[in-house]
Amino acid sequence: MSRFQNRKSFDLEWVERWARRVNEDRRLPVIGRFFNSRFVLGVDETDYLIDVRGGKIQRISEGLTPNDMGFDFGLRAASSAWAKFSQPIPPPMFNDIWAMAHPLHRHLIIVGNQLPFWQNLRALTHMLSLMRAI
Amino acid sequence: MNTHDPIVGRYVYVQCEGKTYRTYYEEHGEGIPLVCLHTAGTDGRQYRHQLCDPDIAANFRVIAFDMPWHGKSIPPADFYLMEDEYKLTTKFYCEFIVAFCRALDLKKPVVMGQSMGGNVCLALALKFENEFSALVALEACDYSPGWWIDPLHHPHIHGGEVVASSVFGLMSPESPDENRWETWWYYAQGGPGIFKGDLYFYSVDSDFRDQLQKISGRLPIYFLTGAYDFACTPEMTERTAEKVKNSECVIFSGGHFPTSEDPVKFKEVVTPVLKKIVQNDPERRGQGAAATRGNLVELRAARGSERTAARRVIDL
Repeated sequence: MSRFQNRKSFDLEWVERWARRVNEDRRLPVIGRFFNSRFVLGVDETDYLIDVRGGKIQRISEGLTPNDMGFDFGLRAASSAWAKFSQPIPPPMFNDIWAMAHPLHRHLIIVGNQLPFWQNLRALTHMLSLMRAI
Repeated sequence: MNTHDPIVGRYVYVQCEGKTYRTYYEEHGEGIPLVCLHTAGTDGRQYRHQLCDPDIAANFRVIAFDMPWHGKSIPPADFYLMEDEYKLTTKFYCEFIVAFCRALDLKKPVVMGQSMGGNVCLALALKFENEFSALVALEACDYSPGWWIDPLHHPHIHGGEVVASSVFGLMSPESPDENRWETWWYYAQGGPGIFKGDLYFYSVDSDFRDQLQKISGRLPIYFLTGAYDFACTPEMTERTAEKVKNSECVIFSGGHFPTSEDPVKFKEVVTPVLKKIVQNDPERRGQGAAATRGNLVELRAARGSERTAARRVIDL
């Protein structure tokens, strides 16, 4: 088996498993106490709207509709990139969202208002790292 | 029973560009002066493991200082009158390193720096090669763009948390958690705007791509870069080292902060380099040289094999 495993299809059921794992985490309500945001997790052509309040995920929605009135920021990447990111030991350049988004690499695109992205980077980094635990 | 590190800390007054800087440094060991340069926005604590290492201290007088504005080194007295934000320039950085070494009356020290401290080694080789006997450039390359960005110093963003979190992914996921989070903590303690201001040097004011061929090669340069460094990738270091005369390049399975994120692995990686420096300078090795251990391991370790309807809603 490769040191960096391959796995996962990023459907709504997978996003739900991740979200439930996020909500079990005991640190996120602390470090994400003020993390209130609606951000998009983009996987290939599919957008998942993630509604976060106090560091917990309250709702996940597949696709965007006019009634969403947009979102705060989005993290869009290919499923192949998310597959690397979510491995228990992610390979170099795919172990961190800023690493993936950095202008040198551009494996992930940050869209929308980047202010809440940077404001909540610590909690967001931990929240996304829990993809490696499901 | 009390336990102490062998490190001793002092303050020295350093003159640079017409100002006086009260500068904090720590040291331990005897022998060849080994001046350690911290990364952007942090301080000399990043070298606490190397400062305490008896094998290194047997041959080297290890010295780690805090740059002005960093750690326990205060800004210049009139900093509140500055009409521009803090920006580290290549000129000041080089001149301060030289002035610090002169203030301590160090003769031909070795400089070891990481990240911006690694990149500045190229400037030292270009402009001050007669001041030093060898350079150890950790996580260094000729050009490292993309880091001088406003979110790192913004009144609506917690500077400590964003700065520390922005660099966390530069470390290897296999480095020990306690070391990675200690490194995170150093970053969280930087002064406002200092990390970003250092990155002005790192990403804007230090582009050596057209100058590498001017490095004479009289000063040996050792490049060491970790596989998980996404700011200075192994390829960026290798590309740089190929153009620098009298240089060596080692890629290892670590990250951007080898001295603090995984000091055990770093010792394995740096020991062969330090051994070469001692071999090239036998008269100045420390009194405890005979005690140097022989556990040298050449690492060119495992790098990653690659860089490489109806709306459904779930309420939780």
